[in-house]
Amino acid sequence: MSLLLQQLVNGLTIGSLYALMALGLTMVYGVLRVLHIAHAAVFTLGAYGGLWTFAATGSFWLALLGAMAIAVAAGLAMERWVYWPLLAKPPIATLIASIGVFIALEEVYRIVAGPEPHAFSVPLRVRDVRLAGVLVTAPQVLVMAVTVALLVALWLFLTRTSLGLAVRAVSQDREMAAACAMNVRRIVSLNFALGSALAGAAGMLVGVYYNSVSPTMGDVTAYKGLAIIVLGGLGSIPGTVLGALLIGIVETLFIGLIEFPFPRDAWAFLAMIAVFLLRPQGLLGR
Amino acid sequence: MKRCITLIILSGLVMVLAAGPVDAQGPIKIGFFAPLTGFAAADGASAKHSAEIAVDEINGAGGIKGRKLELVVYDDRHDSKEAVAVANKLIEKDQVVGVVSGSYSMPSRVTAPIFAKAGVPMTVAYAVHPDVTKAGPCVFRNGFLGQVEGAAGAESAVKIQKARRIAVLTVDNDFGRVASAAFIERAKKLGAEIHSEQVYKLGEKEFGPYLTKIKDEPIDLIYHTSYYNEGSQIARKARELGIKAALEGTEGIDSPKFLELAGPAAEGVTFTTNLNRDDPRPEVQNFLKRYQAKAGTGADMVGASAYDAVRILARGIEAGGTEAKAICGALTGLRDYHGITGKITRFVKGEVTKPVQIQIVKDGKVRSFAVIDNPEVITPPVQ
Repeated sequence: MSLLLQQLVNGLTIGSLYALMALGLTMVYGVLRVLHIAHAAVFTLGAYGGLWTFAATGSFWLALLGAMAIAVAAGLAMERWVYWPLLAKPPIATLIASIGVFIALEEVYRIVAGPEPHAFSVPLRVRDVRLAGVLVTAPQVLVMAVTVALLVALWLFLTRTSLGLAVRAVSQDREMAAACAMNVRRIVSLNFALGSALAGAAGMLVGVYYNSVSPTMGDVTAYKGLAIIVLGGLGSIPGTVLGALLIGIVETLFIGLIEFPFPRDAWAFLAMIAVFLLRPQGLLGR
Repeated sequence: MKRCITLIILSGLVMVLAAGPVDAQGPIKIGFFAPLTGFAAADGASAKHSAEIAVDEINGAGGIKGRKLELVVYDDRHDSKEAVAVANKLIEKDQVVGVVSGSYSMPSRVTAPIFAKAGVPMTVAYAVHPDVTKAGPCVFRNGFLGQVEGAAGAESAVKIQKARRIAVLTVDNDFGRVASAAFIERAKKLGAEIHSEQVYKLGEKEFGPYLTKIKDEPIDLIYHTSYYNEGSQIARKARELGIKAALEGTEGIDSPKFLELAGPAAEGVTFTTNLNRDDPRPEVQNFLKRYQAKAGTGADMVGASAYDAVRILARGIEAGGTEAKAICGALTGLRDYHGITGKITRFVKGEVTKPVQIQIVKDGKVRSFAVIDNPEVITPPVQ
C-alpha cells in the first residue's frame, strides 16, 4: 500500500511536468487549430533562459520569471512570423513549418550553448514532506507547488476575467468572436504568450528537477505532449491536465509496481490510439 | 587562346594534385572519426582532443621515421549512414594508412567490415560491442568488452566492498545487457545475492519508479550500467529518496559531466574504467595535464582511450611501415605495451587483456579505489 502511494507521488510529479508542457500545446490548438510542435523548443528555451537568469541573479524566482519571459518572447515571435502568415494555407503548411522551427531551434541551442548537458543546481529551501509514511521529496514538493500555483492562476484568469472570457470565446469560435468585434489577433497572441509562459516554467522546472539542461531535452516532450492533448481532448484545458496526470501515473505504476516489460514512452501513444478508436473527441473534449 | 592556355595549366595542376599521395615523404595520414555533433558530441569532443594531443606529441618528437603524422578527422554524427560515408571517404579520398575509431559501438561496428575489406588497419578506442573486432584480423580494441567490465564490477562489489545483497539497474542496450549479465553471474559465483534486476531504456531521466521499489529493501549495493546522463539521475534520485546503499557504475559514467550533473550525490560512487587518474606514471599525468589545458575540463576514459588508440596505431606504423599487412603483423605481435589506460599484455583476436581500474568519487574528485587484475576476470572471452 505504501509502495503504491509512493509511486503515485512519483507519477503525479511527472504528470505535473507533462501538464505544464502540454497546456500551451492545447491552448494554441484551441485558438488556431495548429499543432504547435515548436512548443517543445520554447520549453527548452525556458530551461536555458532560467539557467542564464539564475547564473546572473542567483534567485530561483527571478530565474523562473526569466524563463517565462524568454519563452513568451519566443512564442510571440513564432506566432507573429510563422503561424499567422501561414494561417490561410492548408494545415499541413503550418505543421511542417512548426517541425522545421523545432529542429532549427534545437540546432541553434546546440551551437550557442554546446551539445553537452549543463547542470542546473539550485539550493532548494523546501524540505522533504512525510505524510503517513509516504515521502514527498523536496524537489517533488517544489514541482507540484509551482504547477498547482500556475494552474490555479490560469484557471482564475480564464474563468474570472473578461480577457479570459474573450480567450475562451475565440477558442470556441474564431469567426463568431471576430463578428462580435473582438480583436481576435490580440487574443491569439495572448494565448500564445500564456501557453509559452507555462512551457518556459515547465522547461526550467524540468531543468532543476533533473539538474540537467540540454539542447535535446524537448524531444520526448514534443511528441508525448501531442499524445497527451489528444487523450485529453484537443483544445480542452482540464482534459489536458487530466490526460497529463493519467499518463504520468500510468507510466510510473507500470514500471514501479507491476513488472511489465513495456517501454514507458509507449503508454502515451497507446492511450492516443485507444482514444482515436473509442472516443475521438478525447476524455473531456467537446 | 588565353583561355586555352589557362585550361592546359589547370589540367596540369590537377594531374600534379592527383599524384599527391604517391609522395613518400609527405605526412602519414591516419583517419579518425567520432560523434562530434548530436547527443554523443561531448564524448566525440573528448576523443578528438585526445587524439590530437597524441598526434601533436608524436610530431613534436620528430614524427614516425622523420615523417609527420596527419590526423584526418570526420564527424560520424552517431549515424550509421554517415559512418559508412565517412569510412568510404577515408579509404578512397584520403587514402589513409590506418584508422582510429573514437566513436561508439554502432558507428564502429558498421565501419569495421568496410575497413577490413579495404585492408585498412583499425584501432578502436572504447567501443564495446563484441562484433567490432570480429570484422577482420586487423581490428584492435583498446577498451574492455562488456563481459570483462561486468565481472570486474562484481569483484569490486562483492570482494572489496563486501556487498551481500545487490540490486541491478540495466540500461537496455548491448553494453548494458552484456555487462549486467556478466556482473550478475560473477556476483552470484562469489556468493552475493541478486535482489532484483530492473531494465530501463537509454535516455531515461526519471528513476523514481525504479528506485522507490527498492528503497526500503535491505540492499548493500546498487550496480547500474549507465552513461553519465542516466547514471547521474540514478545517484541523485537514490540520495533524494534516502537510499543508503553503495552505488557502482561502469565506464559509461567516467566523465566530468557525471560529477557536474550528479553534484553532491556523486560522492562515494565507484565505477569500473580503464583510466586511473592517480596513476603515478609521467605519461599519464602529462596527458591529464595536457587534456585539462586543451579542453578546459578533466580528462575521461573516452579521451584516454582515444589517445591510446592513436598511439597504438602509430606504434604499428613505426614498427611495420605504412603497408597494411606489416602494420597488422606488428600489432598482432605487440607485447607488453604501456598505454596510459594500462599495460596491454598482448592482443588476442583483437581484444586486450589489461587490469580494470575501480575509481571512486571522493570530495568531488575521481580517485583510485582498487585494481582488478584477477586473470580469471580480465581475460577477454574470445573463442
